[in-house]
Amino acid sequence: MNDPNIKNIKFLHSGLLSPVKKWGAKWSLWAVHLVTSCCGVELAHTYASGYDAERWGTLNFGMMRQTNLIIVEGTISKKMAKALRMTWEQMPDPKFVIVMGACGLEGGLFWNSYHIVKPSEIVPVDYFVPGCPPTPEGLMRGILALQKKIESGEAKATAKYQPVRLEEVLEIKEVKERKPPKSPVKIAEKPEIKIEPRDVEWEFGKSFVDELNQKLAGAGEAFITDVNRVYIRTTKERFLEVAEKLSEDFDHVKSVNVIDVIHEDKFIVEYTVSSYSSKELMPVLVTISAEIPRSNPRFPSVIDIWPSADYQEREMYDFFGVWFENNPAMGEKFLIAPEVETPLRKDFKIPQPNYVLGGESE
Amino acid sequence: MCYNELLSMFRENLVHIPFLTDKILLFQYGGSAVYGNPLVNVFANVPILNFILAAIFWRPLFAMLFIPGLVAIMLVLGIIIWLERKMTAKVQWRYGPLEVSRPIGGIIQPLADGMRYLFQEVIVHGEAHRPYFLQFPLISFLPVLLPILVIPAGAIYAIRTPYAIPIAIALVALIPIVLIAIGWASNSKYAYIGSMREVFMYFAYEIAMIIAAMAMVVAYGSGDAFVIVQKQSLIPGILINPFACLVFFVATAMATARFPFEIPDADSEVVFGPFVEYTGIIFGVVMTLAYEKLYILSLLLSILFLGGWNGPYIVWLGDLSPAIWLFIKAFVLVVIFVFFRTVYGRYRLDQAVRAGWSSLLALSFVSLGVGVCIASAGWF
Repeated sequence: MNDPNIKNIKFLHSGLLSPVKKWGAKWSLWAVHLVTSCCGVELAHTYASGYDAERWGTLNFGMMRQTNLIIVEGTISKKMAKALRMTWEQMPDPKFVIVMGACGLEGGLFWNSYHIVKPSEIVPVDYFVPGCPPTPEGLMRGILALQKKIESGEAKATAKYQPVRLEEVLEIKEVKERKPPKSPVKIAEKPEIKIEPRDVEWEFGKSFVDELNQKLAGAGEAFITDVNRVYIRTTKERFLEVAEKLSEDFDHVKSVNVIDVIHEDKFIVEYTVSSYSSKELMPVLVTISAEIPRSNPRFPSVIDIWPSADYQEREMYDFFGVWFENNPAMGEKFLIAPEVETPLRKDFKIPQPNYVLGGESE
Repeated sequence: MCYNELLSMFRENLVHIPFLTDKILLFQYGGSAVYGNPLVNVFANVPILNFILAAIFWRPLFAMLFIPGLVAIMLVLGIIIWLERKMTAKVQWRYGPLEVSRPIGGIIQPLADGMRYLFQEVIVHGEAHRPYFLQFPLISFLPVLLPILVIPAGAIYAIRTPYAIPIAIALVALIPIVLIAIGWASNSKYAYIGSMREVFMYFAYEIAMIIAAMAMVVAYGSGDAFVIVQKQSLIPGILINPFACLVFFVATAMATARFPFEIPDADSEVVFGPFVEYTGIIFGVVMTLAYEKLYILSLLLSILFLGGWNGPYIVWLGDLSPAIWLFIKAFVLVVIFVFFRTVYGRYRLDQAVRAGWSSLLALSFVSLGVGVCIASAGWF
C-alpha cells in the first residue's frame, strides 16, 4: 500500500467516478522532461513534427506543479538524483515516471562509474524504455504502454528479449573469459608543485629581477618564471619585510591563493601583486610565496600594506581555514555556510546525500 | 406575494426568441393551423418550473447566463484551448491533439485535461499564504464576469447605461490586481518575478488602452454601447479611427499576455509566472483567466470598432440574432489573438515596456486627437 506506484493506480480505479478519472489521466499525460543527457534529443524528436506524440494528448512541459508524468532522459548522477527526487516530490498525485535509455536502466555506458544512481532507486518507475538512445517510436510505445496501464491497472512488458549466446551465433569453439576493464585510476604518489626559474627573452625582466634581489637583500629569492611573471620565494617570518619592500613599486594585490600540499603536510600561501601606477610594471605580476605547516595555519596579513587583500584573505580562511593575523574580519565566514569547515582542503569529506526511495529526503 | 410579483416582473421582460418562446406552427390543414405551445408556455402553470424558466429567459439573467455571459465564455474556452494547440500543430506540420476523439479531431482534449486537473492533488505549499492562495483564483472571476453586466449583445442586455464602455474598461483593469495578488500569495520567487512583470506590463498598456477607448467614446459622443453600435451602422469604427483600433488591438494582446507580449507567464523563463505554484483544478481555473479576459476585451473591441452586433437579421433567431453576430465577431478576434502564438517570438520585458510607453502611448494620443476632430466636426 505504501508503494506510490500502486497507490496511484488504486486511486484511479476506485469510486463511482473511476471511468472519468481513468479517462482524464489516460489522455492527459503531461510530461515534465528531465533532460540529463542525449536522450533529450530523442524526446524533442518525439514531440516534433514527424512523430508528434501530442496526438495522444501528451504535452511536454518544463515545470512540475502542473504535470503528472516525469520522463527521465538518460543518466542520473548523484547530483541529479537530488533534482529528480525534488521534482517527483513537487508533483501532485497521481503521478507516473518513464525512464528513457540504457543509462537509466542499468547504468549503460557508465555502468561502473562511481557517480551513477539508478532512477528506480530514487523514484517509483512505471516503464523503462531501453535503447541507447531509444528511438522516438520507442518512447511513444512507452507512453502508450503507460496509457494501457492506467486503463487496465496492471503493468505489462511490451517486449520480451531472448537471451543470445554469442558463442552459438558466431560458432566460436573456445570461449575466452572476458573481464571488464578496471576503471582507470591515476594517482601520483607524491605530486610536486614545481616552480623553477626559466630562461626567457625578457631584457627588462632580467635587470628588474637583479634590482629586486639586491633590494630584498636575502629576505627572499626572486626569479623569472615566464615573460612578465616573477616569483619570490620567502618564509613566513620574513614575508612582511618582503611585502614592505615590494609595496614601493607595486600598489595592489591581485589574488591571494593557498595550495594544500597534504603529503608534505604544508600549505603554500601565494600573494600575486601588480601595479597600476608605474607604466612599465603594469604587465608584470609578482608572486610572493611562503610555506606554513598544516598543523599551525597562521599567516601574517598584508592588510596594512595592501588593503585590497582583505576579501581574498577572508575567502582563503573560508576555504582552507588559514588564519591571517591582524585581518580584523577574520573568524566570520562570508562565502559559505558557517557549519561547513574548510571545504577546499584535500582531506575534506564530501557529505553524501541519500535520496533513495523510502529514505528520508532533505 | 413576492413570488407572483417576481414572476410577473420576469414575464414582462422576456427574451424574444421565436423558436423557443413563440408559438410554433406545427402543420397546416385546410384553413385551420395547429400550433405547438412554446417551451415557456408548456410549463406556465407548473409552480416551480415556470418560475425557473421565466427567470432564465428574463433578459438580464439570460445575458449573464447564456450570451454574452457564462455559456458563451465556456464555449470560447472549450474551443479556443483546443484550437490554439491545433493551430500551433498545423503550422509546425503536426497533427496536434487527435487520438482522444479521432472522428472529431480531438476537440474534447481540453475536457480530458480538465478531468485530469479535477482529480489531481491540490498542493498548498508551506510558504504560501494559505487563505489568499486559495481565494484569489475564485475572486478573479468577479472582474472577469462583472463587465458582462454592462456589455450588451443587441437586445440581450443586463444594464443599459451611458457609461457602459468606461465601466467595462475599469472593471477589466482590475484583473491584473488579482494576478499580482496571486503572485504575492504564492510567496515564491518565480511567482514574484511574474507578478512584477505583470505590474510593468500593466502600466505599459493600460494608459494607452484607456485613452484609445476614450477617443472612441469622444468620437461617438456617448459611452452607451447601443448608441455606439447604431452610429456604426454605415461605417465601422475601424475606418473612422484606425489609430485607436491599432492601439486597442496591441494593448489587448499585451493585457492578455498573448504573443509577442507573453511576458508575465513566459513558461520557458519564469515557468508560468504568477501561477507557478498552482496545482490541480485551481491551476485549471487560473489558466483560463487570460482567455476570459481576452474574450471580454474582444467583445469591447468588436463593439467599439467592428460595428458590434450589426449584421443581417435572422428572423427565426429573434433577439439571439444580433447576439450571435457579436459572438462571432468576438470569437474571430480571439482566434486571431491566439494565432499569434504560432508565428511570433517573445519580446523582452524592456522592449515591450518601451513600446508601451513610447509608440503605443503616442499613437493613443494621436487617436484621441482624431476622435476630438471627429466629434467637433460632427460627422456622427
